[in-house]
Formats: sequence, structure tokens, C-alpha cells
Amino acid sequence: MIEFQNVSYSHNKGYGVNNLNMLIKNGDFTFLIGPTGSGKTTLMRLLYFDLFPDSGIVKVNGYSSNKMGSRDVSKARINIGMVFQDYKLLSDRNLFENIALPLHVMGFTSNQITSRVDEAIELVGLEGKESHLPKELSGGEQQRASLARAFIKEPDIILADEPTGNLDPVASFELVRLLETINETGTTVLMASHNYNLIKGRGRPIFELKSGILRVR
Amino acid sequence: MDKLFYLIIEGIKNTWRHKVTAFTAIFSLSILLYIIGLISIAEKNSFKVLQYLRSKYKIEVFFSEDLTNEEAIGVIHKIKKINGVKNATLIDKEDATRIFKDQFGESIIDLLGYNPLPTSSVVNVERNIRQPLRIEPIIEEIKSLSYVEEINYQGNLIKKIEGIYKKIVEYIPYFLGIVIFIIGLIIYNMIKVSIYSRSETIQSLQLIGATKLFIKLPFIFESMLISIISVSLVSTALILTSVGANYFISNFTVYNIHLNVDLYLFFHLFILVIFISILASHRAVSIFLK
Repeated sequence: MIEFQNVSYSHNKGYGVNNLNMLIKNGDFTFLIGPTGSGKTTLMRLLYFDLFPDSGIVKVNGYSSNKMGSRDVSKARINIGMVFQDYKLLSDRNLFENIALPLHVMGFTSNQITSRVDEAIELVGLEGKESHLPKELSGGEQQRASLARAFIKEPDIILADEPTGNLDPVASFELVRLLETINETGTTVLMASHNYNLIKGRGRPIFELKSGILRVR
Repeated sequence: MDKLFYLIIEGIKNTWRHKVTAFTAIFSLSILLYIIGLISIAEKNSFKVLQYLRSKYKIEVFFSEDLTNEEAIGVIHKIKKINGVKNATLIDKEDATRIFKDQFGESIIDLLGYNPLPTSSVVNVERNIRQPLRIEPIIEEIKSLSYVEEINYQGNLIKKIEGIYKKIVEYIPYFLGIVIFIIGLIIYNMIKVSIYSRSETIQSLQLIGATKLFIKLPFIFESMLISIISVSLVSTALILTSVGANYFISNFTVYNIHLNVDLYLFFHLFILVIFISILASHRAVSIFLK
């Protein structure tokens, strides 16, 4: 479960989010829209505890922003899968190694890792590209690899911050489909985007963020 | 266990992935370690060279004409008891005549009709004293003995040699300390640069929930590997240097000196570099992770 209680956060330059209240139940697929600079990324960073609110409380999967030590941050992130606009794949590791990374962090054995990575690669349709470096993959392929890395650890929540920002419409549509497939397994998904056309008409709740203020659309 | 094994392998792979950085680090580290090794060999062998030179120090003591052989033996016993004297050899008038004949081919008695050569003694100093030897007190004590008329010794030369040795013993630890400090800085900066160049990797690892230890360990293993490679290269280079130096000394000089390379030196270099690399990589990553 994700919950924001009167959350405000202000960056040094002034922008941020203001008195946000939001509740996303387990298993929901929710969209977050808003123009560039509206505070979507700030909200996402508050969710994976990269930022802590100036006031209010962020609750994610039982972790509460006002009761967290630095060690709790890595524990909390184990149950959160993240997808970013710039993929954040490790450029010096191949596709297999990138997707396997969270499982190494969690201490899986090499046999378990191999079988789970193979499954994940199959799900995102990147079979045969295991030994490719990120630079040898297209933008869409890199984003699918990023998604595979996010859900391979079977997280409770997937946060996708502008995951289609660098993709063409077809690749963008495929990615949202993949996220929906993952959501069908019970994973909570929150996807931020500024592309309303991509998310409208999907029958999912949409939160709109404008100048740091949130409203339900 | 799988996790630790993975992190060790990652450390090794990172070294390979960032070959240029690793090569630069190994190169600069090896040069500094080689300098430390050479200084250590010089320090270890300087005493050996000093012992050799001390064996060549010669103090000649000439006695007065009225001295009998028994009295001379008594004085020799007193000289032997002086602190810093290893032994003293009596050269009586007959021995002196024989030495003269050996050196000049003619008997001094045949030339002059009498033996003018005095009874004397050759005094050798103690070679195994670790501290610089002070020759003047020995000379003063010998001078104070009865029947001693004249003393010949290489005062300035001995002073110079012992002075150089004193400087080596005094200053080498400071010099070594400076070089070790520089090595520490180089390893630290090498790791820092390496970390900054891989800041995205660290950020990605943090985002997927990696603990600080999980992020740090590959860097620590990587710097340990670089250190091990450097120490291995330097150990080989130091052995080759000492073999070459010994070949040169024995074939092209008159000195009977054999340089030894202490195996503990390699062990000490290894421990030193591993310690610095663990400390430096831990600190550099910690600062970045804050």
C-alpha cells in the first residue's frame, strides 16, 4: 500500500510538491500525469525514499518515512521495482547481468538466478540478447530490460517514472501492456507520464499533478 | 556464500572492465612499491656493507722502544678490553722486520745494521654494533695506555662512512613514511576517480536496494586485486634487481658484498598495500554513499 499524508517537499530552487494526500491500494494500477516540472519525479523519489518529506508522512509497504533509518531504505527498496526514463542499466554489464543484479543483492543462488532471468527475458521478449551490452540494444529493448530488472525480484510495487519518455508510440504501448501484465500478477503499479494519450481510456485511476498539487482526474 | 562469491567475482570483473584505470593504478603503484622495496633493501644491506667496510678499518698502534714483549702482551690485553675493539694483534720487532722484507724485498737490518722498527699492534674494531661507531673514544683510550707512542688511523674516512650510515638509519624511516603516505594517497585517489566514473553504477545499485556493504565490497576486492598484481610485479622486479646487482658487484667490483633480499619484505609490502587499499576504498566509497 502507498499512502501520502499531507506530504510537502520543496527543493532548494523552490519547486516540489505541496500538501499531497494519496492512497493507492495493493494491486492497483495507477497513472500519475502532469507536465514536465510538475513534481512527478519528486513524488516518485519520495516513494522510494530517495527524498524525505519536509512535512507529512510517506508510507510504502509498511515503511514510514518518519521512522526510517538509512538501513531501512535498502530494505524498503528490495520490495520496490523501479523503471526510469533513462533506463539506468549498467553500461559495463550485459543484459543478463543487468537483469540478474537484484537477485544477487537478495542472495539468490546462481541456479535460481539463471532460471529466473531466463523467464524474465522471455516475458519481455529479449531472448537471444542475453550477452548484449545496453548500448547494443534499442531504446525499447533497453526499457524492457529495465522493466525485467524491476520485476524479477517480484516486488510488491513497481514505480515507473516516465518509462516511455524516450520511446516511440509502438514501443510505449508495448511497455504499458507489459506493465499491465505484471499488474495482473498482483503487483501494484504506479506509472508517471506526461503523455495523456497513452494512458487515457484504460480504465485506471489517474492522478494529476500540477505545480506540486495533486488531484484525481 | 553465493553472494560473497559473486562480489569477489565482480571485483575481478570490474578490474577487467576498467582495464585502463586498473593498468594506470598498477603502473603507478608498482613504481612506488619498487622505490619502497629498493629503500628497504638498501636499509637492510647497508649494515652488511658497513660491516664489510668496518673490517677494513685499521688502527695501527706503535709502542715505545723500551717496551718488552711481556709488557706489550699486557698492553694488547688492555686494548682488547676497550669498548668497540674486536681484537688486537701484536707485531713485535721481528714480525715488523719480516713484514718490511715482504713488502720491500730487502732486510732493514742489512740496510741499516740495526732494527729501528718499533713493536706495534693492529687493532680491529667491532663490526656488529648497530649504532654508528665512534672511533675517537677508542683512540683516546688507547692513547692513555702506557708505552703507546703513536697511533695511525683513517680518522676522516671512518667518520665519513659512519656519518653516512647514521644518516641512512636516521632518515630512511621518514622517507619510507613519506612514500607510504604517497602510496596511500594514490590508492585513495585512484579509487575515488574510479568511483566517480562509476557513479551511475552505484546509484543504480542503491536504487535496486543494494546495501552499502554490497556496493563497497567489489570496490574493495578490486583494489585488493590491483594491489596483489602490483606486489607480485614489484617482488619479481626486486628479485631481478638484487640478482643483477650481485652479479655486477661480484664480476665488476673488488667488493666482497652479497646483497640479500629478505622474503619478509614482500610479505610486508603485501600487508602494507592490502591494508591501505582496504582502508582507502572503504573510505572513498563511504564518502560517496553518504
